Amino acid sequence: MTLVHMMLLSGCWSKKELTDLAFVIAVGVDKKDGKYVLTLQVVNPGNVAGATQRGGGSSGLPVTLYTSTGDTLVEASRKASKKISRLTYYAHTNLVVIGEELARDGITEIFDAIERNPQFRTTASVIVARGRTAEELLSVLTPIDKIPANQIIKTLEMTEKVWGENLNVHAGEVIESLSLAGKEVVMSGFRLDGNRETGKKTKNVQSIDPYARLRAEALAVFKKGKLVSWMGGEEARGVLWILNKIHQTALNIGWKEKKEAVSYKVVRSKTEVTAKMSKGNPVISVVIEAEGDVGETLAPIDLTNPTQIATLEKKIRNEIQKEVQKAIRHAQREKSDIFGFGEIIHRTYPKEWKQMQRVWDEQYFPHLPISIKVDAFVRRTGLRNKPYFQ
Amino acid sequence: MEQARLSARQLFMLAILFEHGSAMVIPLGVDARQDVWIAILCGMVFGGMLFLVYYRLFTYYPAVPLTSYSQQIVGPFFGKGIALIYVLYFLYIAARVLRDFGELLLTFAYPETPLFILNAVMMITVMYATYKGIEVLARTGELFFFSLYLTAFLGLALVMMAGLIDVHRLQPVLEEGWKRVFKVVFTQTLYVPFGEMVVFTMLFPYIHQPEKAKIVGCLSMFLSGINLAVMMATNIAVLGADTVSRSTFPLLNTIQEIRVANFLERLDVLFMIALVVGGFFKISLFFYAGVIGTADLFRVKEHQRLVYPLGLSVLLLSIAIASNFSEHIKEGLNIVTVYMHVPLQIVLPLLLLIVAAIRHRSSRFFFTKQEKSKRG
Repeated sequence: MTLVHMMLLSGCWSKKELTDLAFVIAVGVDKKDGKYVLTLQVVNPGNVAGATQRGGGSSGLPVTLYTSTGDTLVEASRKASKKISRLTYYAHTNLVVIGEELARDGITEIFDAIERNPQFRTTASVIVARGRTAEELLSVLTPIDKIPANQIIKTLEMTEKVWGENLNVHAGEVIESLSLAGKEVVMSGFRLDGNRETGKKTKNVQSIDPYARLRAEALAVFKKGKLVSWMGGEEARGVLWILNKIHQTALNIGWKEKKEAVSYKVVRSKTEVTAKMSKGNPVISVVIEAEGDVGETLAPIDLTNPTQIATLEKKIRNEIQKEVQKAIRHAQREKSDIFGFGEIIHRTYPKEWKQMQRVWDEQYFPHLPISIKVDAFVRRTGLRNKPYFQ
Repeated sequence: MEQARLSARQLFMLAILFEHGSAMVIPLGVDARQDVWIAILCGMVFGGMLFLVYYRLFTYYPAVPLTSYSQQIVGPFFGKGIALIYVLYFLYIAARVLRDFGELLLTFAYPETPLFILNAVMMITVMYATYKGIEVLARTGELFFFSLYLTAFLGLALVMMAGLIDVHRLQPVLEEGWKRVFKVVFTQTLYVPFGEMVVFTMLFPYIHQPEKAKIVGCLSMFLSGINLAVMMATNIAVLGADTVSRSTFPLLNTIQEIRVANFLERLDVLFMIALVVGGFFKISLFFYAGVIGTADLFRVKEHQRLVYPLGLSVLLLSIAIASNFSEHIKEGLNIVTVYMHVPLQIVLPLLLLIVAAIRHRSSRFFFTKQEKSKRG
């Protein structure tokens, strides 16, 4: 009995010491000459942990980049072992970057490996490297958040939360969109500004204004798994309004002759999308409710006057409506149902959807009548009511 | 039969653990897509009816298990045949669940460990529990019942807190009508886990208060049905019907989605607890029923003597029944259902009940006649 216990309890079958693992924090996928190019951003543990105790500037880099090619992603990942002395470990991978070229080529198949592998989490964020390969985007050192992948994810999360033109999309959501007939993929793009070569070196983070920077860019609109266009600015925010992803943002509204005179800070918002049938044709209605404060005025407005507030609210409504319409027009032009309207019809009218499903993208969605109703409320005006200028 | 007594509460907890067992982790009835919760609830209702059949048989013969009363009902020859079939069935299902358990662990946690080792470790535990007898198993059940429920509530609370649930994913309800739901009910959810209550025909004689057997069985099935339906509905509301239907373990994927406050994530261990606890009780109960049935059938006084040979057979069987996971699942859904679950969970118990009812009626009739003639 003791012998049996000694054998069973003493060790682990396939144990891996911490020093034998290479923690992959971000994965980049590109396609070159018909083969997948896998870029792995691997954490350099010695240079991340305890760096602050040693006085901030440690000698080495926080991450190292490895690339490897293969006909499948698994092949490429295994082949990377030729270069990495440790076992690649994907349980901490939080970011998947897709090169623009591959995105235009089609991303449908690449998620299978991610979904199938028990190590990999489907909560990893997915982005597109705008105008670049994933490898280029991942080879930039960043200040503040030392690990570039974390910098990207945190930027994405923060900008989605306070500005609302970017969307933090998880791999699981991408897979869901790819599998549904009535929903197309939409995700954020990231751009690399500045000098790429210097971006690779420590010099980049030693400068107060880094030579190369990463920046959240427009939304990548996909159709049948292929990138078809980019959607930026107000259009992008329109998408987030419809998807009910706006947490906070700021809108500018004109006042009298002055354009962009009042800044309205959205504090919370809620969007409900419903489908109806009218004469056998689907109709979508979008109802948006937004609540917020006045953040800034560049024109003399008497905000103590409720009628002024009411006028303001009306203008805000029109502004939001305009953004949403822009987004819808863009998507309808590209015939890409990124809002998942088809799925909503599927849920409400399963029988009718059966006939629509096949021709949804071509026949129904581009001409889909959509009614938009916006309710915006100005609740408070901050610490002042009237501005100091008249 | 060993000398043992179980309280109604112990039996109730065992039944709950048994019903949840592997049903909790496998993609139960996912062919019904987003209507899977309806399929589970329907399975529960029809399963409840089956249970009443088993219960009625028990009321006719409250002191002996299925393997004994089958002999009293249809005579020693056929009765022994039926008993033997049931014993083999219990052992085979124990092997199947053991295989399920091993495969699941292998797929997501121990990719490099041989299946045999994992199965052997589990089987040793099961054999030990069976060796110690049903009372020990029941007491273990009382312990784990609470830990399992605690895990389940914790998991559900975290899923809700993480804001993962989107009830719209459960729509459209009854997209393909009732046909698809009933197809799933009568090919899957009715038998696993609800029809598997047939195992309790071997355990009812142990109950201390026989009058409570009915309420214990019904209540435990009702509760498990509700729990499983809620769980599968949660899976779908989190992952979407498509992902769930393609997933080998939907519950694991749901738990992996949890991210609360940036530090409560990667809670796979919750899944692990549910899997090991559930798997243990399901295998143990099937195995125990098999062992006790063999002991009863071949008049072996101490069931302990059978634990080792039968345990070894179950272990080897669990490796031998299929060469890969897909084959194992396919067998379970197509062959086992048609050739084992339907005849052994529905047809044979019903036939036994009919014969038993006729016998009882005629014998009662006979007795009353005799009494009358005596008085006269």
